[in-house]
Amino acid sequence: MRTERPRLAFTAIAAAVCVVLLFPLYWMVLTAILPTSATLSREPTLLPVWSALDWSAFAAVFARKPLGTWLLNSLLVSLGATLISLVIAALAGYSLSRFRTPAQQWTGYTLLLTKMLPGSLVVIPFFIMASTFHLIDSLFALMVANAAVGVPFATWLLKGFFDGIPRELEQAAMLDGCGHLGAFLRIVVPLARPGLAACAIYLAILSWSDFVFARTLINDQSHWTITTGLVSFIGEHGIDWPALMAAGVISLAPMVVLFVLLEPFLVSGMTAGAQR
Amino acid sequence: MSDALAQREARSRRARSLLARRERRFAYALLAPAVLAVGGLIAWPMYLIVSISFREGRSLNFLALDRRPLGLGNYRSVLGDPATWHSVLVSVVYTLGTLVPALVIGLATALLLNRAFPLRRWLRSLMLLPWAVPGVMVSIVFLWMFDASFGVVNHLLRVLGLAQTDIAWYSTESTALFAVIVPTIWKAYPFFTLTLLAAMQSIPGHLYEAAEVDGATAPQRFANVTWPGIRGPAVLAVVLNGLWTFREFDIIFAATGGGPAKATETLGIRAYNEAFGYFYMGRAAVIGVLMLLMALLAVLLARRALRREFFA
Repeated sequence: MRTERPRLAFTAIAAAVCVVLLFPLYWMVLTAILPTSATLSREPTLLPVWSALDWSAFAAVFARKPLGTWLLNSLLVSLGATLISLVIAALAGYSLSRFRTPAQQWTGYTLLLTKMLPGSLVVIPFFIMASTFHLIDSLFALMVANAAVGVPFATWLLKGFFDGIPRELEQAAMLDGCGHLGAFLRIVVPLARPGLAACAIYLAILSWSDFVFARTLINDQSHWTITTGLVSFIGEHGIDWPALMAAGVISLAPMVVLFVLLEPFLVSGMTAGAQR
Repeated sequence: MSDALAQREARSRRARSLLARRERRFAYALLAPAVLAVGGLIAWPMYLIVSISFREGRSLNFLALDRRPLGLGNYRSVLGDPATWHSVLVSVVYTLGTLVPALVIGLATALLLNRAFPLRRWLRSLMLLPWAVPGVMVSIVFLWMFDASFGVVNHLLRVLGLAQTDIAWYSTESTALFAVIVPTIWKAYPFFTLTLLAAMQSIPGHLYEAAEVDGATAPQRFANVTWPGIRGPAVLAVVLNGLWTFREFDIIFAATGGGPAKATETLGIRAYNEAFGYFYMGRAAVIGVLMLLMALLAVLLARRALRREFFA
């Protein structure tokens, strides 16, 4: 009981910090749900006026722009890219964790090196390669591009996680007649679920956020992803802020839900990584 | 007798080496897809960048780039251009201007979240949330908040009496860089929170208890227990976040595209504009090589700390 009050004080401090730090998101939501007269004003209301809620911005943005198509494209690309790089990174991370091959250190440096490559730079050769193979405007090419970018960091994250799983478990399974791959799939993968989840969030966020590849590799508006779609509002004469914020809320919602639900995996995954 | 023993030993050695060879083959097989992905989609593109950087002139046909004459012309024209060095400066200011505040916010929030209090799990999720917001979206929200006539930032400044006129943050040369750094900090701090919190949670609790028994004050506990425990991960996080910020593209591109008058033109933005704005692929590639060298320099400087973290 005595410790309860200072603990609640920390809750209050943390809540206050959140209010300040998340103000931009709050402002985005508020702009989307208040009538234009309240937001496009010299004296905007800082608190929501519940009686004046106005959802017309959401309807307007769906009517004016192919938002549904963009969201679907983003979803396809993110899912595909996440799956591809998760599988690749899981295999590689396990290999780096369990075997001391001569190539290991070298691969480690290579992966770190790839972290330094700017997306705005990699996109030039990607564009040339995609042009060569006539893959401009292909969502598949976009998926592969995003998958490639995610592999290095995901591999390291998972290596750290696999390091935390005792080898004895697989060795026992192998003595029981399991092949090495079988031991990996049946013993290690289920145990590494939190790490894989953390990795999946990381990869999904990465590809959902991608802008530079989508902008460069995709011309056709019907193949745009949500990020290219959102930026297209900016160039317009007189930006329709409430509509843009409404589109932002819609595009952000899936990420926020995914993130808030799976965030504990991210923290535990990172902790496991830090402990290696 | 000893012959038989030796034979048996040889057989078991052969079996062991066969097993080891199979193990090694398995290890490489697992690694192969990653090596292919990294090689085909990252190393090969890098090779292309370097080779393009030596191709002179400009071509609208990207596929014909390798038929252009080789030479150092791109290097001469890019390195001799004062705009390049201006971009280097902008990149450095942008990166440091983001890293330092982001590290401070990240450390403060991590220390707060390292305490036990009700609702911590949800408040932690919320504090980390900006990390999940796409850079383009971050840019758009701040563009709206910093809007000259209807932006909430100018409104608050007016209310507080700090500004009499409307500040056009993104179209004024002197404020534009600040106005793109703020959203970058906002997106960058959660990575620090996350990695520092993870490091703090792996510090054994008994160290704190011992420090408390010894009568250590809170700052002393931080200096002698917390900081030594998080220093390694902190260095790694600073390097990684620094590399990410250095090559940040989305936030600046969506907000200003590098303007006004190149005030926010970092090397990454400049490379993109050279390539897809003016179709000088060679010049863009040279800027890319320059960025790589700068990043490599930063990694080399932090080499010792990194090796400890990465290859422990």
